[in-house]
Amino acid sequence: MKLSKQEFLSRSGLGEETLNAWIEEEWLIPHRSSVEMSFSDIDIARARLIRDLKMDFGVNDAGVGVVLNLLDQLHGLRRTLMELRHAGRIISE
Amino acid sequence: MKDPYEILGVARTASAEELQKAYRKLAKKLHPDLNPGNAEAEEKFKEIAGAYDLVGDAEKRKRFDRGEIDAAGTERPRQSYYKDYASTDQDHPYADNSGFADFMESEDAFAELLRRSARAQANRRGQDLEFRLPIEFIESIAGANKRLTLPDGRTLDVTIPPGIVEGQVLRLRGKGAPGSGAGGFGDALIEVEIRPDRSFTREGDDIYLELPVSLSEAVLGGRIKVPTPTGAVTMTVPRNSNTGTILRLRGKGAPRHAGGHGDQFVKLKVVLPKAPNPELEAFVSSWESGKAYNPRDEVA
Repeated sequence: MKLSKQEFLSRSGLGEETLNAWIEEEWLIPHRSSVEMSFSDIDIARARLIRDLKMDFGVNDAGVGVVLNLLDQLHGLRRTLMELRHAGRIISE
Repeated sequence: MKDPYEILGVARTASAEELQKAYRKLAKKLHPDLNPGNAEAEEKFKEIAGAYDLVGDAEKRKRFDRGEIDAAGTERPRQSYYKDYASTDQDHPYADNSGFADFMESEDAFAELLRRSARAQANRRGQDLEFRLPIEFIESIAGANKRLTLPDGRTLDVTIPPGIVEGQVLRLRGKGAPGSGAGGFGDALIEVEIRPDRSFTREGDDIYLELPVSLSEAVLGGRIKVPTPTGAVTMTVPRNSNTGTILRLRGKGAPRHAGGHGDQFVKLKVVLPKAPNPELEAFVSSWESGKAYNPRDEVA
């Protein structure tokens, strides 16, 4: 689902200034067309994770970047493991 | 339901700071996004988050301590986490395969598997796109060629097969979203929505139509033209056909799956002339046996 910036702000509960700062840090990467930016469900979930990291865990800004980077590498690995399991199933059939 | 203090591992007398500290310590260990493969951690996290929602809030904590509310139903409902999106789909800007890029460069069988998997991900088939297409009732029986304009400006030519039913989905191969690499296009799935018709209705493979006939056609009978979804046909109305008489046009219904067609049933409705007619009035007032017949005798 595609969300406009306004919809994203109201669904995520973020302030506009915070959102701009997070985009600046590349913690969030909205989809950009020539006229406007749009967001999807994964951005909402990612914003919630960033908020948890900052508010609940007291992770500072430098730490958030590190955590996100490592998590994305972890998800890349998990995705590839799943692909391999799938490929393995095809080979063994 | 377990005691929220017990879940968080603190004494009932713990200060707000101690509670927060205990919660954060557990949450750091158990947050579902930091444990993407661990379903047990997610269950536990739901429990501690629910407990903290209760006693982490000063007002709710007071009411809980006084016994006004209990811990039932405080478990936080399942929300979707980042991991739910990030691991399953690689079509997002956060996808990062650098964590094993070095493995792919070696020469062993495992590296070959990884490379193959990366290629498979790169050559993924495009998504299926779903559309709704409203059509007229007559088109649903007789079939039609429709043109659908997609949100992106493309057009799709859709052939509606005769006899299609509400909600049936047509698959147009290769007309969906583009894939990546050599993955090819997905399909377009078109769900048909049939607009109700003013005259025709359908039940199974049969079609029903209420057809007005004049008084003279009803009394004397005759051949009349009857519309069907596939064009008008001629039908014989027997003498003395009443309102409610149902006549069957064999094979004029919807096409059947197994071949052949259903029937069209025509229910007659006798309609008097719109304006009062002196000739008719004169005849009816002199028509003694007509006055003697009371159709309501049959109504108990």
